[in-house]
Amino acid sequence: MGTRFEIALPARDGRVDDSVLRAAGEAAIDEIEEWHRRLSRFAPDSLLSHINRTAAAAPVRLDREVFDLCAEALAVWRDSDGAFDVTMAPALALRGLADSAVPTRGAGGVAAFIRLDDEHRTIAFGRDDVSIDFGGIAKGHALDRAADLLRAAGVHCALLHGGTSSVLAIGCPPGQPGWRVALGQETDRSVITLADSALSMSDPASQREFTGADHIVDPRGGSAAARVVVHGPSARLADAWTTALAVLGHVPPGFPAGYDATFLRSVH
Amino acid sequence: MSTAPQDRRTFLTRTMGALGATFLLPDAADLLPVLQGPSIKVGLVGAGRQGRAIITELQKIPQVEISALCDVSASRLQTAVGRVSGAQGFADHTSLLAARADVRAIVVATPTHRHRSIVEDALAAGRHVYCESPMASTLDDCRALEKAAASASTVCQAGFQGRSNPTYKRAQPLVRTELRDLVSLYAQSHRKTSWRFPATADVSEREANWRLDPDVSTGLAGEHGAQQMDVAHWLRGEYPVRAAGRGAIRLHKDGRAVADTIEVDLAFKDGVTLRYEATLASSYGGTYEIVRGVNGTIRLAWTHGWLFKEVDAPTQGWEVYATRQQVVDDEGIVLIANATQLAAQGQLQAGAGLPHPSLYYALVDFIRSATEGAPVACSMTEGARASIVGILANQAIVSGQPVDIPAFTG
Repeated sequence: MGTRFEIALPARDGRVDDSVLRAAGEAAIDEIEEWHRRLSRFAPDSLLSHINRTAAAAPVRLDREVFDLCAEALAVWRDSDGAFDVTMAPALALRGLADSAVPTRGAGGVAAFIRLDDEHRTIAFGRDDVSIDFGGIAKGHALDRAADLLRAAGVHCALLHGGTSSVLAIGCPPGQPGWRVALGQETDRSVITLADSALSMSDPASQREFTGADHIVDPRGGSAAARVVVHGPSARLADAWTTALAVLGHVPPGFPAGYDATFLRSVH
Repeated sequence: MSTAPQDRRTFLTRTMGALGATFLLPDAADLLPVLQGPSIKVGLVGAGRQGRAIITELQKIPQVEISALCDVSASRLQTAVGRVSGAQGFADHTSLLAARADVRAIVVATPTHRHRSIVEDALAAGRHVYCESPMASTLDDCRALEKAAASASTVCQAGFQGRSNPTYKRAQPLVRTELRDLVSLYAQSHRKTSWRFPATADVSEREANWRLDPDVSTGLAGEHGAQQMDVAHWLRGEYPVRAAGRGAIRLHKDGRAVADTIEVDLAFKDGVTLRYEATLASSYGGTYEIVRGVNGTIRLAWTHGWLFKEVDAPTQGWEVYATRQQVVDDEGIVLIANATQLAAQGQLQAGAGLPHPSLYYALVDFIRSATEGAPVACSMTEGARASIVGILANQAIVSGQPVDIPAFTG
């Protein structure tokens, strides 16, 4: 996923043994690495590369987790009027921001040609120029899965993040009402207190500053401009919707219940 | 890939002062195999982390229908059944074998010391069996499995993946033709992790952490090393005769008795040595194998492989057209054949590694043997021998004394 993930696990909280805590943390990191291997568009041996190579020729069988991820990505695409689009990889490649194990074809924005078959749990592409890139949702998905493992191992208190833009909190730090997460690097930045929830932040101007180009591309033309934070139960859904809202600049009717969005003033 | 004469001159000039390396590219048919046989229902016993990887790879094979899943942990089983559409769950393998006669192939991915009874029962029930490596945790169990497979009428494949890996298959003949006399072999597995797994409501601490239980664990040499040591066996066509090694706990001082860092030297009868190093305390360098010869060196890293030629080694015709990559300080010849053709078809980026993990190719070989009668990629005899080498290497490490490895015959 091209970024650094970190997990903070407060030790000696009296409820979980330190060695168990380490094992749980490693299992969570392993889970994130596993999803990186599965969803990487850069690695030729990833499941996603296999899908991109073959789904135009024949339906590809998926396990439940990958199928659900695809279904949710398409749901956000529909609910955001196409502002979030996993087929935008070709457009990113044209800007020099993406490479691929499978040569990029087409011009992006062809999510309408992705076919999901719930009965047989398969994915197929209706055109041979479709390529998927889960870049706008993979970090959040990996965080959600890692958090599931931590909870199953009895962890009550943890903070996970992917590239600092996707953050997930389990419980609260000892004696605190939640994890304090600063939004941005300005001296007067906002701070959100996070407990048993996730947030994702998108700042197109910041990305432009580092790379000289936009990472978020409006599938309908132009570039994303809005600086936005989405907060809610799932890091995966928060991730996808920050991308969509950064493109839209407003909250559409299809925005999911249980989530809230905050547009921040631009500092660049 | 075509290479203009001036490119070749440039390459030859450059390699006068440095080791030249070639990327090992296998045949296109090996990279993206297409099976011709009938469909087959497969059952998976052991739905942990490796089981999940196996599900992912089996689902890529159109002929395979994963019809049954089995795990002693109800929560793991429930998760696995949720992953695979239409699969039936079982709490033990005997129930699976009794209830689903239509499941013709069984993949075994349980803890090593649980393999024997599952493989024996599946073979006795007339099923094809793929067993993850290593085969077993004791010499007796290895020999029993070899015997069970020898008397079975069905396919039994040991999960030593190097023998199915297209890059490794590309490298095998080059060991003899390009490297000439062997200097030494080296393999390593470096990863920073505790090797400890969280217990759950239905998996006890001891069950979850069987790798750290000296009563059943074959240590790093057996659990990780046997897979890589077998690459050397396969490339050389013979097994080592003696093991000497040492181990220590360098990082994970949590009361464990199984070393987190080991070194072992495996000597072949001609004096050539395979040095194997594994650690859970550092990830530097990762996992790879090296075969050094007087004319060049081959470096294999599972999805990638390179041939490094010595400057005084004769150049073969095919090398002129090979893809080259910089690997640390050396330039390597990339070992994949027909990659340019695949790239032109939009299926693979030129110069990239394998389009599937090594596990996929091993499972494809298994299904091909079960449905088309193709020769078994790694027999249980070969698997048992590789496992025995790993077990004895672990014994040498634990005892601190050299251990003789019995000559395998037949």
